[in-house]
Amino acid sequence: MIKAHQINYKHKDFHILDGVDVSLEYGEFLAIVGPNGAGKSSLLSVLADEVRTGKQKVLFKDKPISEWNVKELSKHKAKFSQHNSNDIPLEVKDVVMMGRYPYFDSQPGKEDLEAMNNMMYETDVFHLKDREYNTLSGGEKQRVHLSRVMAQLQNEIAHTLMFLDEPLNNLDIKHQYKALDIIKKFTQKANSAIVVLHDLNLAAQFADKILLMKSGRVSAYGTPQEVFTAENISDAYNFPCTICEHPITNNPMIIFG
Amino acid sequence: MRTQSKLYFYLTISAVLLVIIAVLSLNIGVYDFGGNSAFKVLWQFIKGDPNLSLSDKYVVWDVRAARIIMAILIGSMLSVSGTSLQGLFKNPLATGDLIGLTSGATLLAAIAIVLGGHFKEYLPEAVQFSLVGISAFIGSFLSMMLVYRISTSGGKTNVVMMLLTGVAITAIGFSITGFLIYISKDEQLRDLTFWNLGSLAAATWTKNIILGVVLIIAYIILLPKGKAFNAMMLGEKDAQHLGINVERLKKQIIIIVALMVGTCVAFSGTIGFVGLIVPYILRLLFKSNYAFILPLSALCGSILLLTADTFSRSIVAPSELPIGILTALMGGPIFIAILVKFKKAL
Repeated sequence: MIKAHQINYKHKDFHILDGVDVSLEYGEFLAIVGPNGAGKSSLLSVLADEVRTGKQKVLFKDKPISEWNVKELSKHKAKFSQHNSNDIPLEVKDVVMMGRYPYFDSQPGKEDLEAMNNMMYETDVFHLKDREYNTLSGGEKQRVHLSRVMAQLQNEIAHTLMFLDEPLNNLDIKHQYKALDIIKKFTQKANSAIVVLHDLNLAAQFADKILLMKSGRVSAYGTPQEVFTAENISDAYNFPCTICEHPITNNPMIIFG
Repeated sequence: MRTQSKLYFYLTISAVLLVIIAVLSLNIGVYDFGGNSAFKVLWQFIKGDPNLSLSDKYVVWDVRAARIIMAILIGSMLSVSGTSLQGLFKNPLATGDLIGLTSGATLLAAIAIVLGGHFKEYLPEAVQFSLVGISAFIGSFLSMMLVYRISTSGGKTNVVMMLLTGVAITAIGFSITGFLIYISKDEQLRDLTFWNLGSLAAATWTKNIILGVVLIIAYIILLPKGKAFNAMMLGEKDAQHLGINVERLKKQIIIIVALMVGTCVAFSGTIGFVGLIVPYILRLLFKSNYAFILPLSALCGSILLLTADTFSRSIVAPSELPIGILTALMGGPIFIAILVKFKKAL
């Protein structure tokens, strides 16, 4: 799906990313975790072609991502940003419909309206569809954008890719699980997702692969069982923890302190 | 589908309203067509009636009709340029006159009028004719680049910087234009005063054809961009993720808006606030959905300016009120209303 080799990204003399390798298969759910300032969001930006780092190339479906046509690319990948605009004087349904912009010229078609409605149902914002976006709470706004990003990838293309930068911010417990469920279902249809997460237990429960970052480098990469060991985590976060087995899912469960 | 037919509904209503106002405006004026209505005279002219007196023909076709068309074209372009700038800067206060594009255009037009007189004989006729227009375009383009560079970084606009840069450009323009007035000859002086006040009285069909061509080119490029303008509200990076070529879009807006403002200033001087009033009213009705307000502002701008111009030439007839007085009278309170609404954000 996406491959990047030795990504370096510098701001002045400070290495934000230092020799990071990423490789993602079709149908994989990759969670990027790590302490503040580890370079998680920067890595996502580089992979999504928001910033270009010079010579290194990010290969998306075996073709350098910078060589893709912008419009065509928007049907293959979507990104959920961490800092969403607070001032969009439109109704919620208009914001969700933006996800369908790559698919119609002036008039949304039947599929576009369907995709919009379905995704609003899934993310539990359908009842807000006529509200003004600016009057929503932080968590509701997050769900609107999740709905928009999901609607963008409702198409016939096999293997699409979604980038999500901390999609769970401001969400209550129920909606955190709901959001991860939606993403999980999305990856089960042979699509892929790269998600920056802060909650390690949620990452362990939902992700197929974990990329643990520390100071711009990959400090561990693999399945949750491989990455989430007490040494790895204590080292990366500089904070003590204990690992035990989740009584229901058998995934690793991390208890801090 | 439903929203689309709503758009066509409002477009139709605006178009009908515009035609009604144009017809009324044609019949309003001091000149007496010997008891006939202006429509009858216009009809005679269109049919090529040989009995039509020259002065009747002149008034109905070369004065009133030309002026009405010019009001329609200029009102439309000023209003669309305001809406587009607001999309680019993501702020309802961005308009050509407030951020200094108009002053930049006026300044270079003034320089062309005063200094151009000295070179006139060396220049080919076609260049002479368009010198003022091209200078006005360059002036508005340079102001635009300056404002954009100073106020915007990383895709975010600092509104205070944007407005203050406009104030600075206006101040520079004012002082240099003042100096030019001081050193200019009588004939140039009349031209300069006209530019500063703004008026549609100098309408001719040649000017209308040029304005029409600019308008068509501009609208072919800008009017289908409603979706792209909406997406820009998400932020430039997210707009890019939706398949919009943001860099190209910004360049297009900057060049087309400079072209529209420059052309309007060259032909009608500074008529302020049209680009502020029209989008403000449309936003009250349709929120900030550019797919609606961009095409509608093209028609509503015409309605506003044509109405204002008809008032300005009939309210103190046979004399004429500078049209800028009327638009400023409407625009000032709206400017304050937007400021109050955005008090927290500024």
